[in-house]
Amino acid sequence: MDKEELKKVIYDLVEASTGKKKLKQTDILKKVSADKGIEKDEVKAALRELVDAGTLIFTYFGGSYIEIPPKA
Amino acid sequence: MSELPQRQTDIGPPHYEQFLHPVIKKNYGKWKYHEILTPGSMVHVSDTGDKIYTVRVASPRLLSTDTLRVMADIAAKHCDGYLRFTTRNNVEFFVDAESKLAPLMSELKAKGFMIGGIGPGISNIVHTQGWVHCHSAATDASGLVKVIMDELHEYFTEKQLANRVRIAVACCVNMCGAVHCSDIALVGVHKTPPRIDDTNVKNSCEIPSTIASCPTSAISPDPAKKSVKIKLEKCMYCGNCYSVCPAMPIADPINDGIAIVVGGKVANLRSAPMFSKLAIPWLPNNPPRWPEVTNAVKQILNAYIAGAKKHERVGEWIKRIGWEKFFQEANLEFKIQHVDDFTFARETFRTTAAFKWTT
Amino acid sequence: MSKKYQTPLLDELKKGAFPSFVTEIEKAAEHSDMAADLLGLVELSYKERMTHWKHGGIVGVRGYGGGVIGRYSDIPEKFPGVAHFHTVRINSPSGFFYTSDAIRQVCDIWDKYGSGLTNMHGSTGDLVLLGTKTEHLESIFAEFSSRGWDLGGSGSAMRTPSCCVGKARCEWANIDTMAITNDITQHFQDEMHRPAFPYKFKFKTAGCAVDCIASIARADMSIIGTWKGDIQIDQAEVKNYKGKIDIQAEVIGMCPTGCMKMSGDQLVIDNSNCSRCMHCLARMPKALRPGKERGATLLMGSKAPIVTGALMSWVIVPFIKMEPPYEEFYELIGKIWEWWDENGKNRERIGELIERVGFPRFLKDLDIKPHPAMVKEPRRDPFFFWSEEDIVR
Repeated sequence: MDKEELKKVIYDLVEASTGKKKLKQTDILKKVSADKGIEKDEVKAALRELVDAGTLIFTYFGGSYIEIPPKA
Repeated sequence: MSELPQRQTDIGPPHYEQFLHPVIKKNYGKWKYHEILTPGSMVHVSDTGDKIYTVRVASPRLLSTDTLRVMADIAAKHCDGYLRFTTRNNVEFFVDAESKLAPLMSELKAKGFMIGGIGPGISNIVHTQGWVHCHSAATDASGLVKVIMDELHEYFTEKQLANRVRIAVACCVNMCGAVHCSDIALVGVHKTPPRIDDTNVKNSCEIPSTIASCPTSAISPDPAKKSVKIKLEKCMYCGNCYSVCPAMPIADPINDGIAIVVGGKVANLRSAPMFSKLAIPWLPNNPPRWPEVTNAVKQILNAYIAGAKKHERVGEWIKRIGWEKFFQEANLEFKIQHVDDFTFARETFRTTAAFKWTT
Repeated sequence: MSKKYQTPLLDELKKGAFPSFVTEIEKAAEHSDMAADLLGLVELSYKERMTHWKHGGIVGVRGYGGGVIGRYSDIPEKFPGVAHFHTVRINSPSGFFYTSDAIRQVCDIWDKYGSGLTNMHGSTGDLVLLGTKTEHLESIFAEFSSRGWDLGGSGSAMRTPSCCVGKARCEWANIDTMAITNDITQHFQDEMHRPAFPYKFKFKTAGCAVDCIASIARADMSIIGTWKGDIQIDQAEVKNYKGKIDIQAEVIGMCPTGCMKMSGDQLVIDNSNCSRCMHCLARMPKALRPGKERGATLLMGSKAPIVTGALMSWVIVPFIKMEPPYEEFYELIGKIWEWWDENGKNRERIGELIERVGFPRFLKDLDIKPHPAMVKEPRRDPFFFWSEEDIVR
């Protein structure tokens, strides 16, 4: 799977979950890896690019999660 | 603002080797023995014959950069620029010759540092953030440390005990300071359940994880309000739900207080490590100097001083005399809260007819 | 500078012999508005007997999921200087050794961007910088990381590992605690900075069973140095202790296994019955030294009481050589984390998970052979599981 495409899958998953259930890093790796039949490490690398770019962020209220950053 | 330097990620901490005194670096792994010279100084002797002298001083852990700079200056002047901190928040200065000890110690004294903390005494109090910086603090930590050490500082600077007495303070039951294996530990406790702010629960909390956070299943959904409700008789006031959901504040200035647990240790010396157990379930949270708490700590410490044999830790002393006797010796009332009804309860019931009569 | 607020309650805590945290905040307040407002806020807490902080949960530095703890005052209008008062955790060097220059470097950066207040150190072992604003976080990180410092752990991640002083200044160090701690920290940088675990995971390394770092009480993985073989005795030094200490009462009489005795002038130890508790070595450091084959016991699972009671770490590997490159150790950690990831719930520590599903299942899943050193005593009930291969069909 193309990396940009994978990044979109991850972002969409986090977006769809917003306000319903906060996702941990491991939730995303397990779900995307199972859905798309790709290695967790590949998902992790794509997720890391999203976080490094600030498109997604880690949050840590009552556990550590991946979320869309709040609008400034 | 001036241009920022280029950030780096995932480089980890600076390597410790660059921070080691040359004598320590040379004799790394070669130490033969050590001797305590005074309650604030000791010497380590190497197989090579080299010696390193350590002088320890107290710190309140919360340190200004001003004080840190003073420490750095003293280390630069006397210790070739090397110093270290201990796990109990003390500061250690190193010199490589006995003749350098006196000038170092007199400068430390002149600058107001309290020298001590080595050997069988009270080597500072590990503690948490309290009202200085924590959102879940039931009491202050730095203040309690200050008032207890003010009372007991002679056990830091000169007086000796049967063995070390490790004191710890945790400002709530989260116990960031891992106080649960200390000789004497104070922990901030609540007595009343969290108050639910339904509007904010709806807006800022994830209901399933809030429900899951409760160890006694006291929290259930309240679908009509899109919030949660609490079965009050099941709540044990741990505040874990507040950590997950800020709309369930549990702080209660009148009813929050301080529990004292005793007899824990982490060392394996002589006997296995032990958990601390409840001595006093609740004392009033009475800042700025918490007289009820300092008195209780002194009362327990004095009972230990009167009863312990040389090298016995508080927990070993209590184990020898029995907990029933401990309550008598420390003159503490045994209350219903002392009887366990939680995870470890069955292990604590006295399944023998052999026990001591106490008044 | 004149006082910004009257603080009669905190002033009471400047009295007395022991060094005062209030004095420290006042010193910082001389050059920091944040520290000045902190005094006012804490005075109010002392008056109302209640905290005035709110948990953050979002702020950090780009790319990392830990190392910064967001903190806000709940009354920013009253104390604008502490409206934001975030903590930055700097990963401390192993053993908490520093040079004067390193301390000054930390102070220079912190005076520029923060309150001037620190914790040396936080409970987990980080060099804690107490109180800064969101807009300074990236600058602080750039200033520190460009000079060779990195952030520590927070959240559901590997937390900053810590250790006792070890071989640097202790004759009882059976393992190189500082090297191990540094190696673990460097080995798991991703696990530290980008939280991926069900909950926190702490490594603490002690050189011997005295456990000066309290690893057995507060580490998910407690690495405790030990030895095999006979305690090394210097009989001449044993003789020198005569008269200085009561060897019979203080050493032999307090040995928990009763494995020591005097035979004439000679101290005799039945090493096969020694449990290596360290008492005799601690009483006679000049005369006794650990046996020659050094390594560690690995224990797992300790945590504070929240929420269903405290756990102490228990033995999972009785003896392991802890020498670089620590292959066997890292392989085991990898297996344990994978198992925790598969089975753990959110906010469930590894010790709690093992307790929930059963220690035998942990041993089976990880293919670790059971050993009597792992338990205090065998089970008391007859309700145990069998595998298919135990059954005759």
